[in-house]
Amino acid sequence: MSNEDTPENADKEPKSMQGSSEEQPPEPREDATRPNPALEPTEQDEPEEAARHEPPPPADGHDGHSDHGLAHTMPVWMLIAVLGALMGLTVLTVSVTSFDLGSEGNLVVAMVIATIKAALVVTFFMHLLWDKKFHLILFLTAVLFVVLFLSMSITDRGEYQKNIDLYQSTTSAAAK
Amino acid sequence: MSESTSESATSAPKKGGHGAAAPAHGGHDAHDAHGAHGHGGPHLAHHFDTYQQQFDAGKLGIWLFLLTEVLFFSGLFCAYTVYRGMHPEVFVYAHYFLNTTMGAINTCVLLISSLTAAWAVRNAQLAQRKLLVLNILITIACACTFMVVKFFEYEHKFHDGLLPGPAFHPTEQVWELETFKHKHPEAAEYAEKLTKAAEAKDAAKAAPAPAAAGAAVAETGVFERPTEEQLEPLIKAGVLGPTAEDQTRPSKPRNAHVFFGIYFFMTGLHGIHVLGGIGVFIWLLLRANKGEFGPKYFGPIDYAALYWHLVDLIWIYLFPLLYLIH
Repeated sequence: MSNEDTPENADKEPKSMQGSSEEQPPEPREDATRPNPALEPTEQDEPEEAARHEPPPPADGHDGHSDHGLAHTMPVWMLIAVLGALMGLTVLTVSVTSFDLGSEGNLVVAMVIATIKAALVVTFFMHLLWDKKFHLILFLTAVLFVVLFLSMSITDRGEYQKNIDLYQSTTSAAAK
Repeated sequence: MSESTSESATSAPKKGGHGAAAPAHGGHDAHDAHGAHGHGGPHLAHHFDTYQQQFDAGKLGIWLFLLTEVLFFSGLFCAYTVYRGMHPEVFVYAHYFLNTTMGAINTCVLLISSLTAAWAVRNAQLAQRKLLVLNILITIACACTFMVVKFFEYEHKFHDGLLPGPAFHPTEQVWELETFKHKHPEAAEYAEKLTKAAEAKDAAKAAPAPAAAGAAVAETGVFERPTEEQLEPLIKAGVLGPTAEDQTRPSKPRNAHVFFGIYFFMTGLHGIHVLGGIGVFIWLLLRANKGEFGPKYFGPIDYAALYWHLVDLIWIYLFPLLYLIH
């Protein structure tokens, strides 16, 4: 942690990145809202924000938001908290196998815990909470199609279970 | 830099400026990165107008790639689901052969590497070069640990004949395993007794003296009614009952080898992804060490970390599905 040059600013920056437009990161973030066309008039991505700073921004001139503004920065405490939760859930899912929770109970519990863990990874480690909503839609689309794929296959298998049972009873009878 | 920003009121001078500005920022440490600001910095590809555009394009690309990865793996998850639905006993049988401790260690190792990968993204965003290099190193170390543990698991399975298809010749019966004995001591004992009785029967058939053989069968004393604790785990694992391969004695369930086909395919494909991740992170380590990443340009770290989290995510499902079967 010793070589973090702006540790106290680092965690604040994500909140203010949308409106910030100045060049110097160590400066207090209050400056971000102060219109200062002299600094960087063409740095705006959002048209309305650009208009606030300087009325005629060139169409091709919008750069990134600010120095740290390309994406959300995760605070360290949050990363470590997420790891702690993931580790705790791993211990839980291992220890819960020693209890009998009915025919499919253990599988359901294991899958619920795995899904909570997956949600933690996707939300925090993969930044989806702060990311563009389009990426979330992409990911959920993939999940939707996996669910469709699996459920259709399970239903289809159920349809043919009779044939499988018949086949197996005849082959095991033949083995005898 | 702000002067040059003002100059770039039209597109022509700005685009022309890309090449000219690039050498000026060749050093590109943290402070240069602040100044580079979308005007042909060393890491802004010529076909992008801004760093933001470059980053967003890459991010969309990696998410599309992850989408295909999820669907790619879902084929194997489908095979697993269908086969487990058809033959639950095969999965109960086979899971005794897997080492839960090793699986749990690998889970923790991957989770830690996920943390360091996510932390590395933060380091790159804040231009913390030393921490970035350290976190990438830990990520690589964890990935290598994962592969070493996996290697020992695979080696053990090769040694014990736990292979897919016709190569499946387990050297041990499931009730002889420590994992089984620990969980169901009475059932293990009962299976042992049944096996001895069946062997005695075989000997009786072969031997010409029926009296002695009959005594041998009686000695084993398996004809008492078995208790629930003795019977149930064996039936659940397909050792006894209609799904058992051999109806005359405790044996393995039919098609037990299919589990190992699924196991090797799922963990193998995941392992290949881990190896790929190691390669990518070694490449990024070298680049990070040169100080290439900063607040304007941390995309590669972010994309590799996203990929790495997906690999972790798949393992989060694989671990309970393969190792923690009840």
